[in-house]
Amino acid sequence: MIVRDVICPFCACLCDDLDVHVEDGRVTGVDNACDLGSHKFMTDHRMKGPVRRTASGWEEIPLEEAIRETAELLEAAERPLLYGWSGTCGEAQSAGVHLAELVGGVIDATTSVCHGPSILAIQEVGHPGCTLGQVKNRADVVVYWGCNPQHAHPRHLSRYTTYADGFFVRNAFKERKVIVADIRGTDSTNLADEFIRLQPGGDYAVLGALRAIVRGKGDVVPPEVAGVSREQLYRIADLCKTAKYGAFFFGMGLTQTAGKYKNIRNAIELVDELSRHTKWTLTPMRGHFNVYGFNEVCTWMTGYPYAVDFARGMAFYNPGETTAVDILARKECDMCLVVASDPAAHFPAEAVEHLASIPVVQLDPFPNLTTAFARIQIPVAVSGIDADGTAYRMDGVPLRLHRVLDRGYPDDAGILLEITRRITGGGSR
Amino acid sequence: MILNTGRTIPQGNSVEYKPSPEYGAETSRAFLAPLDLMDLGIEDGDRIRISCGDRSVVLTVSAGDHVPPGTLFVPYGAHANHVVPAATHGTGMPDFKGISVDVEPATDPVRSVWDLMEDLGGRRY
Repeated sequence: MIVRDVICPFCACLCDDLDVHVEDGRVTGVDNACDLGSHKFMTDHRMKGPVRRTASGWEEIPLEEAIRETAELLEAAERPLLYGWSGTCGEAQSAGVHLAELVGGVIDATTSVCHGPSILAIQEVGHPGCTLGQVKNRADVVVYWGCNPQHAHPRHLSRYTTYADGFFVRNAFKERKVIVADIRGTDSTNLADEFIRLQPGGDYAVLGALRAIVRGKGDVVPPEVAGVSREQLYRIADLCKTAKYGAFFFGMGLTQTAGKYKNIRNAIELVDELSRHTKWTLTPMRGHFNVYGFNEVCTWMTGYPYAVDFARGMAFYNPGETTAVDILARKECDMCLVVASDPAAHFPAEAVEHLASIPVVQLDPFPNLTTAFARIQIPVAVSGIDADGTAYRMDGVPLRLHRVLDRGYPDDAGILLEITRRITGGGSR
Repeated sequence: MILNTGRTIPQGNSVEYKPSPEYGAETSRAFLAPLDLMDLGIEDGDRIRISCGDRSVVLTVSAGDHVPPGTLFVPYGAHANHVVPAATHGTGMPDFKGISVDVEPATDPVRSVWDLMEDLGGRRY
């Protein structure tokens, strides 16, 4: 059987044109997906059933018992941390926010270690965003700053930019100029019409120099800024100012380097400056397929996009204090529920160490590095493969994911609602 | 030297099954400029130890023309994060790029991801 027009649950491009071949309850092939998406559909290393860590190894336990014990651990905790959420759908994220409020815990998403700084900048100066359809149909100049879409979002160029013909850009490859800024050469910089090769940590200065030139204050720019010549900066500024429609995409090269959210604020203000001459927009290259979804869900439920602390009986948000890495590094939480992410692989060791000294429960289809710290792991269905749900694309467009097969696993939302029901005794509290 | 971490296709392909040899092999690679290999007296495929504060990890070296001298690029994962400091400077985001590390040739073997997790108090599954 071939299931057509399937949405890919790997990255936040949410490509919606996959054909998935299913035979005997297994995916046997995927058409149109990139390498990353194909591997996600084809990976078959799922955990069979819930497991619990014992003194000497691991034991399989019934689902009922795993849920009951998780509920007891959450109830007993003074300061539980509920972390992850980007690899699951909005329905589970919503259940997670309710659960965090119920137990007076902190809920944070992988946002805090990817585009959290972008959100901080957007909260300072706004978000001049647009849909990816606008980029595809209108943009004749595209910037990729501090990101390598050929490796992290492999179909972004073919669906929306370099290779995507649009209504007003009939021959994209010829008509569309691509500018890539990075500290190293990559498969993306190889495709650029202009490669801005900057020195590590030089993003803020180069963005500032471009702002000065666009504003007509280029005389203050020295001959070289963070490894970039003034001649190239003038050339880039001219290319951007004369665009009919420009789209600025950026990634971890801005969010994870020194300056963090101030880098992004400078990028937004460059886009603001350019929009006095023509039309420019800015879009973060979100990673996990539904990391944007958590920010949407959490905002409409609590008023804040991530890192929300319910310990005071109300939503409190203070990134740097209520973010997962900080809470773990301070050894503050006394229980951790991990859903749809792998902090042990992606957090600094100093933060991971604390997971070894507190009870950890993980909801994830696969054994991963956080499994090493889990007291209990409950394998769940993979959202978008054997579970339905809603996800938000990197441009904020919600899309409905449909399952292509049924492997008999429960989904995240169902498990979370059952944990909640156990804690409330079936009623609301 | 300056350590930068980031995504790669092989890392992304194996990200849903991190216990796999493919994942561990990719996240324990360090890309250095050929000139830096000469300075360190090592060749492509040799091993280095990178250290930051009191934490260190052994990686396998790949020569990369695309990497600026004075920097090394390591795909995201447990190996790089073994030395990444947890400080977030009040933003919630650690420095995953632009980290100052010491680099020296090493003969110790590259440790598996489960070895690293056990170092931190976890248990392999």
